[in-house]
Amino acid sequence: MTSSLRNMVLSLTGLTFAAAAILAGVNLVTAEPIAEASVKARAEAMAAILPPFDNDIAATATELPDGQTVYTATLGGAAAGTAVETYSDNGFSGRFTVLVGFDTEGILTGYRVLEHAETPGLGARMTEWFSDPTQPTRYVTGRTGTLAVKADGGDIDAITGATITSRAFLEALNRARKAITD
Amino acid sequence: MKALHTILSGIWQRNPTFVLILGMCPTLGTTSSAITGMSMGLATMLVLIFSNAAISAIKGIVPDKVRIPAFIVVIASFVTVVQMVMQAWFPALYAALGIFIPLIVVNCILLGRAEAFASKNPVGLSIADGLGTGLGFTLSLTVIGCVREFLGAGTVFGCRIYSADYGSLLFILAPGAFIVLGLLLALFNIITDRK
Repeated sequence: MTSSLRNMVLSLTGLTFAAAAILAGVNLVTAEPIAEASVKARAEAMAAILPPFDNDIAATATELPDGQTVYTATLGGAAAGTAVETYSDNGFSGRFTVLVGFDTEGILTGYRVLEHAETPGLGARMTEWFSDPTQPTRYVTGRTGTLAVKADGGDIDAITGATITSRAFLEALNRARKAITD
Repeated sequence: MKALHTILSGIWQRNPTFVLILGMCPTLGTTSSAITGMSMGLATMLVLIFSNAAISAIKGIVPDKVRIPAFIVVIASFVTVVQMVMQAWFPALYAALGIFIPLIVVNCILLGRAEAFASKNPVGLSIADGLGTGLGFTLSLTVIGCVREFLGAGTVFGCRIYSADYGSLLFILAPGAFIVLGLLLALFNIITDRK
């Protein structure tokens, strides 16, 4: 088709308006399910890493000045545990966020990596590496106190080939612990 | 018949990775394991089929001089739609693929097929071309991913073949991507030259 100023302006304007209308329509339809999916994912993570609780845990969110968020879980009105949404800026590919659960004694009850950009196959393995109950030398659940990888004098096996990520991950866990003990 | 031929040539004679050498950024970036490579290929294929169909349908009303911006609007819109739909109804899939989806917009395979094929052919054939090229891209990425995962981690699709201790991390990192791609490209050329 030969180009004239008139048909170029008309076709591009028409096309972008059509695209905008389609995107607005899809956004209208998907906005609610997307928000629901995000809330559901958070609730599932909470249930997986904390001892049993029955309160509306999302409503207990308290943001700390250092950027961490603390959630308090209760069962029948009595304290059941604490979840801390923490982070580390020392990952191999920048900041990642982790949700860490503790019971009332301060024993780590589980973790869930929420967002990260670590290398697939290496640092990204932190999502399951530290939560494998068959590997006691790297299983972090049930631990107390400050955690460190073996290379730094601790007793936790770092992810093979991803010591930087492992260090950052434990730094995040330690930061979360500091948030509940302080 | 012509459609079938178009699909097959997209997989082999015009394979986007090993013959056209298009879309190298996602090829190098997402093939650290077989499953991520395959996922990227499938997501690209989905967008490619839709964008080829749409571009073929609007080819009569788009003046030549503004065809490239028009194609980009179409491709970016479809990528965004796919991203939103996936996020809403397939959150698990989105969690695995999310970071790759926006990358599809800058994949030159889409613009390349729009320009070279969809803007000159009817809708049906353009869909066949999208399917063929998409399958070719998916297969190539899966093969590269398998080789890198096998050499680097000792697994293929997560199944352990040998102990991870003997794997060479180099192949999972960026330099390994270039090395494996180069060697597979050479292998592909040997096979096609012999015919």
